[in-house]
Amino acid sequence: MTLAGENVYDPLIPYSSATDTKSYTSLQFGARAYSVVPTPRDQEEQEMVHRILRVDHAGEFGANRIYAGQMAVLGRSKTGPLIQQMWDQEKKHLAKFNEILGENRVRPTALLPFWNIAGFVLGASTALLGKEGAMACTVAVEESISEHYNSQIRVLMERDPERYSELLQVIKEFRDDEMDHHDTGLEHNAESVPGFWILKNVIQLGCKAAISISERV
Amino acid sequence: MATLLRGLRAAGALRGLGGVLAPPTATNLPLCRLWRGFYCAARRLQDESKSDRASSSSSSPSSSSFHQHYQAHSAEQDSASQHPSDSAETPAGRVAYADDQSEDQDEEYESEEQLQARILTAALEFVPLHGWSMEAIAAGAESLGLSSASTGMFTNGSGDLVLHFIADCNAKLTEILAEQHNRVQLGQAEKKKTSEFLRDAVETRLRMYVPYMETWPQAMSLLLLPHNIPDSLKHLSNLVDDIWYYAGDRSTDMNWYTKRAVLTGIYNTTELVMVQDSSPDFQDTWAFLDNRIQDVVNMATTAKQVQSTGEAVVQGLMGAAVTVSFS
Repeated sequence: MTLAGENVYDPLIPYSSATDTKSYTSLQFGARAYSVVPTPRDQEEQEMVHRILRVDHAGEFGANRIYAGQMAVLGRSKTGPLIQQMWDQEKKHLAKFNEILGENRVRPTALLPFWNIAGFVLGASTALLGKEGAMACTVAVEESISEHYNSQIRVLMERDPERYSELLQVIKEFRDDEMDHHDTGLEHNAESVPGFWILKNVIQLGCKAAISISERV
Repeated sequence: MATLLRGLRAAGALRGLGGVLAPPTATNLPLCRLWRGFYCAARRLQDESKSDRASSSSSSPSSSSFHQHYQAHSAEQDSASQHPSDSAETPAGRVAYADDQSEDQDEEYESEEQLQARILTAALEFVPLHGWSMEAIAAGAESLGLSSASTGMFTNGSGDLVLHFIADCNAKLTEILAEQHNRVQLGQAEKKKTSEFLRDAVETRLRMYVPYMETWPQAMSLLLLPHNIPDSLKHLSNLVDDIWYYAGDRSTDMNWYTKRAVLTGIYNTTELVMVQDSSPDFQDTWAFLDNRIQDVVNMATTAKQVQSTGEAVVQGLMGAAVTVSFS
C-alpha cells in the first residue's frame, strides 16, 4: 500500500483474492503484472493453459534440435547460412517460451532429453539426404507446427479472445514465422527429394505423436 | 446425475441427522418420535433442495442450530399428544424455524468445505490428546459447538485431518516465502544463497510439526495409506515446487525435475530424522539437514568440475591429434 492508499501490485507477490479462506491455489499463481498469460481463475484453466505452453515449448525445443542436426551436416555447405538463419529465429522462439514457462511456473515436459536426441537425429539424417532432404524435413515439420499453432489459436479464440489476446499475439507471430520457414523450404526444392511424399508423411506422423505425448507427460 | 447426487446428499444428511437425533433421546425410542425425526429430516431435505435452487451457495442450515431447534421442539412434544398427525404442526414450525435461523446467523451460509475446514482446524488442538483420529475431529466439532456426530461428514476422517494440516502448513510456508521475497524485492533484506534459502525453507516447514511431534509417526503412516497417497504426493510436489520457485529456480529443462527430486529427497529424509530426534530443539535434525544440503552443493560443483575437465581433456586430445597429423 502506498501513502495514497492504493494497492501497488508487486509482480512477484502471489495475489491472493480470497481473504477469508486462504486459497492455496491462488497463492501458487506467481504471475507477473504484465505477463503474456493471464492469471488463471481456476485449476481447470490453469491446466489448459499450462498444457498449451508445455507443448509449444517442447515443439520449439525440438525444432531447435532439428536445425542443429541439419547444421551439423550441412553447416559448411552453401545452404549453411540459410539454415543458420532459420535456426536463429527458432532460438528466439525458444527463448520466449523459456521466459513464459519460468514466469508462469509451468512444468516442462519430462521427455525433453528424448526430443533433444530425436530432433538432432531427424535433422542430421534428413540432411544426409542432401540439401533437398533437409528442406523437405523443414517443410514437413513447419507444416505440422503451423497446423498445431492454428488449432491452439482456434481453441483460445473460442474460449475468450480478449483474455488471451497477448498469448494469441505471441502464438500468431510464431505461427507466421513457421509458415515463412515452410515456404522457404518449398522455394529451395524440397519437393525434388526422392520419396518426398512418404518422408513428409512419416515426419508429420511423428510430429503429431510428439505433440500429443508432450501435452500430457 | 443431479438426482443421484441429491439422493447421496440425502443419505449423508440422514446419517448426520441420525446422530443428531440420538443424543437428546433415550435408548428406547418411541415409534412416533422416530417418525417425527424422519419427517423433520424429509422437511429439512426439502428446504435444502429449495435453497439449492434459490441460491448458488450449496450450504444447508448448520446442524448446530437444527440441534438446538430439535431440543426446543422435543420439549414441546413431551407435553403434547404423541400422535403422528401432530407432525402437521411442524410444517409451520419448520417454516418459522427457517425464519428464526436467518435472524441468528449471517445471510451468507458457509459452504460445506468451509465448515469442514473449520472443524478440522479446531480438531488440531485435540490431536496431542487423541492422536490423528475421529475422536480428535469429534472433539474439535464439539469445541465449535457442533454435534460430535458431524464427523459423519468425513469419510476419510484421520486422513482428512492430516491432509488438511499439511495443506495448511504449505500455505503458511508459501506466505512466509512470499513475504521474504517481497522484502528482498523492496531492498529491505539481503538475497540469500540458494543453499541457505533451501535450508531455511525446509527448517521453517519442519518446525511446524513440532507441536505434533509425538503423534507425527502416526500421521506419516496415515499419509502412506494407498487412498491417501495421491493427495499426499500432490501436497509434497506443490511444497517442493513452491520452495524452488521462491529460491529463484526458473529452469525449463531437465533441471526442473532433478532439482525437485533432490529437494524431495532432502525433505523426506530430514522429516524421518526429525521424528526420531531427541536432541534439544532438534539440533541433530538441523545438522543433518545442513549436511544433506552441503552434499547437494558438493555434487553440483563436482559435476561442473567434471564437465570442464572433460572439455579441457577433449581439447587437449584434439590438439595432440592435429599436431600428430601434421608431423
